[in-house]
Amino acid sequence: MSELRDEIHAVARRYPARRSAVIPALRLAQERYGWLPPEAFREVAAALDLTPAYCKSVASFYDMFHLEPVGAHTVEICTNVSCALVGAQRTLEAFERELGIRAGETTRDGAVSLRTIECAGGCGWGPVVAVDHRYREPVRPEDVPAIVGELRRTTGGA
Amino acid sequence: MSAPPEQVTITIDDRSVSVPKGTGLVESALQAGIEIPVFCYEPRLGPPLGACRMCLVEIEGLPKLQAACTLSAQDGMVVRTSATSAQAADGQEGVLEFILLNHPLDCPDCDKGGECPLQDLTLRYGPGTSRMVVQKRTFDKPIPISPLIALDRERCILCYRCTRFSEQVAEDGQLVALNRGASSIIATFEDEPYRAHFSGNVIDLCPVGALTSTVYRFRARPWEIQNVPTVCAMCPVGCNVWATTREGKVARVLARNHPEVDGGWLCDKGRFAHDHLRAADRLTEPIRRIRMRGLVAVPWEEALDAADEGLRAAGASVCVAFSGGETVEQADALSRLVRQGLGADVALLPDDPDPALDAFRAPLAAIRSANVCLVVGDEPVLERAPIVDLWLRAARRGGAEVVTVGPAGAIAAPPGSAAAICAALAASSPPEELRELARDLREADRVALVWSGDDDTGGRHLAGLAAALELGEGSGAYFLPRTPNGRGVAQAWRAAGDGRGIDPSGDEALGALIVSGDEALRDTRVVALADRARFVLTTAMFMNEAAGQSHVILPGTGYLERDGTVVNLEGRSQRLRRTVEPPGWDELAFFAQLARRFGVDVDPWTRAGVDELAALPARSGTAPVVAAPAARGPQRAAGAGGDFELVRYRALFSGAAVERVPQLAFQRPAAEVELPGGDASRLHIATGERVVLRSGEVSRELAARVNRRLAPGVARVAEEHADGLADSVRIEKA
Ligand code: SF4
Ligand code: SF4
Ligand code: FES
Repeated sequence: MSELRDEIHAVARRYPARRSAVIPALRLAQERYGWLPPEAFREVAAALDLTPAYCKSVASFYDMFHLEPVGAHTVEICTNVSCALVGAQRTLEAFERELGIRAGETTRDGAVSLRTIECAGGCGWGPVVAVDHRYREPVRPEDVPAIVGELRRTTGGA
Repeated sequence: MSAPPEQVTITIDDRSVSVPKGTGLVESALQAGIEIPVFCYEPRLGPPLGACRMCLVEIEGLPKLQAACTLSAQDGMVVRTSATSAQAADGQEGVLEFILLNHPLDCPDCDKGGECPLQDLTLRYGPGTSRMVVQKRTFDKPIPISPLIALDRERCILCYRCTRFSEQVAEDGQLVALNRGASSIIATFEDEPYRAHFSGNVIDLCPVGALTSTVYRFRARPWEIQNVPTVCAMCPVGCNVWATTREGKVARVLARNHPEVDGGWLCDKGRFAHDHLRAADRLTEPIRRIRMRGLVAVPWEEALDAADEGLRAAGASVCVAFSGGETVEQADALSRLVRQGLGADVALLPDDPDPALDAFRAPLAAIRSANVCLVVGDEPVLERAPIVDLWLRAARRGGAEVVTVGPAGAIAAPPGSAAAICAALAASSPPEELRELARDLREADRVALVWSGDDDTGGRHLAGLAAALELGEGSGAYFLPRTPNGRGVAQAWRAAGDGRGIDPSGDEALGALIVSGDEALRDTRVVALADRARFVLTTAMFMNEAAGQSHVILPGTGYLERDGTVVNLEGRSQRLRRTVEPPGWDELAFFAQLARRFGVDVDPWTRAGVDELAALPARSGTAPVVAAPAARGPQRAAGAGGDFELVRYRALFSGAAVERVPQLAFQRPAAEVELPGGDASRLHIATGERVVLRSGEVSRELAARVNRRLAPGVARVAEEHADGLADSVRIEKA
């Protein structure tokens, strides 16, 4: 895994102090592993001369770092007030029905993870749904089957 | 000299108080005799955090209640605490109700009960009842975060004192907060043990019963204990401590802040090793080797007769081996017995620091305000005098340039080159790689010089450098002795006669050997001497240490059982107090009696001498002139093949006392060898792999650990894992 180390060092050079690079470094590690297993924290810590505990404490503060394995695809639904007013809850329920899981879970085949998030900054176009980190807006319950179908196709699953 | 700080006047609860500008509100109130309650506030942990809001006060002109701990006194400020402000009282009550929402209130079986700030402040400022009717949040509890510390997450109030200590004081980065907001928890990485030299301080810091000591838990209740002020004598720092005793036994050791020495921190050795007093092999009676019967317990009088007889038969052919843990009074009694009573003049001193440094004496706390700190020597400061490491870290955080020069230094230098480095830095034209450092040292207002290695001449070389730099007040030079009171022992020995202690070389038979203390028994030179001695008189705490070659063994005392004086590395005389009774006579009583039989009058009691918070004596002596030692090249070529120069260090968590405390086992040095990054990759050795170290006939298998700070060609091993190896070794994969 020495490449990850090199990538991290390259990013770290853009900062005056190495430890400032911890968030971009964690991102690189997450891209590599899909989530942040203990090993990832050890590697990031070694590359930046920090402790794994420190790196994990930073990562655990932020929603966009995954401390548990996630599916091949992620569906994130904003449930903050603007989206809630235009029916985010119903969109969420539609995803839950269609995927057969609750928010915070991953489908048994590992294809899709579903979760709610705080404001994504698209308040004028709610309900906002981020599919693999790209926004779809607005997403209404009737749009959900097509999105899920699309995701299922690209993982080759059922 | 800077001008005295400007004074400002503020009014707190209608009392007016004048304080230097910049003084915190909590301290200002204290000066007016007013308490502002706090949980998270602890100035020793760095800038205030404002996490708990316990310190809410009303400030005239500000619309909302303010966290007093985050503010400093401004001229004309009008402050009202809960004593005179209904709004502040209401606010504090609300804060406490909030803090207690999920708190289990299991005070009856909480180890903190009775000495818990949360309990006390709830009683004084809290609401008395709770409106919380739903189930409280629960966690598994207690969970061990190390064999020494238990964590109860239900009780944690998220003040972040513990994590700030770990991150900003010890800088070990191991104890952290995970998650965010209400989900935050205190944790180590993947439940690995919190393994760091200063971990126990988080127990002292925790204002609730969330972090408790596994060694102390449930041993005593606050109303059945006595705290006795004494000094830790496990290393040459001499941290000030309270020994908590219950029913004549030491139950725990707590910090007793001496702001110039320890700043209120303790290392885990000083804090947790006290149970060696109750080791299974603790000697409680004198023992005598009797022909055909082996080692037999005998009455004290008989031991005295046997010692008398053995020493008398030896004539003047007597050597005494000190351990460096004796009090000055014990060392004085023994020295006078040997020098004046027996007419002998030979001693093995574990330390004999050069007094030249007394001309540059300064409190340890001066390190924190230095602009440039230099550390030379082969041994890690952390292992030799741990608190000094904390002062150096504080200096670096404060903006000082902290430079280590040595086998693991920022500037690489071969083992044993500290004297040459000092000379080179003192010279008018230092070599290229030291030039910048030499310039910074010369230009700095305040400098701290530290020698961390086993060479007794170190003090002289350091003093030579200090003199060349013309260090004045505010700067200091520190030699770190090997043993807790090595300095005081050497002084006592020298004062007892005019000859100097000579190394007993040669191999002729010795009439008698006196071994003073368990640590001396482990000195390989002492073991060799004992082979040559016809009579060996030993004082020791532990049977397994003493049994080997001794003819008469006296049960020794631990530092927590002694009254007397110890001299720390600064040269400060501090008072040890007897916190609990030793099992029998102490060494001073015995040697005073023995000395009397040889016509020497020794006082068996320690005279009241030094204060509770002992001051540092004034600087004395003048700087010496030192001959520059022959310089070794500062950089050695990497070991050809697998040849390395071996640096060994004495780990803090080692020695007879530590080995007898099972909870400290995980802190002892791992069986590993540190290798420099370049050499390791050249030899294709990675961290964790097994390697074999060979020198001559001796070989040792250890785990490798790559340390990128190590100079090329240098391998480092803790002394206890380097047994029998020579200074140069060949290392290859196992
Ligand atoms: S464990 Fe104790 S010191 Fe640490 S955050 Fe919780 S209450 Fe504060
Ligand atoms: S640093 Fe030294 S004196 Fe202080 S507690 Fe540790 S062993 Fe004792
Ligand atoms: S003591 Fe002021 S906020 Fe905690």
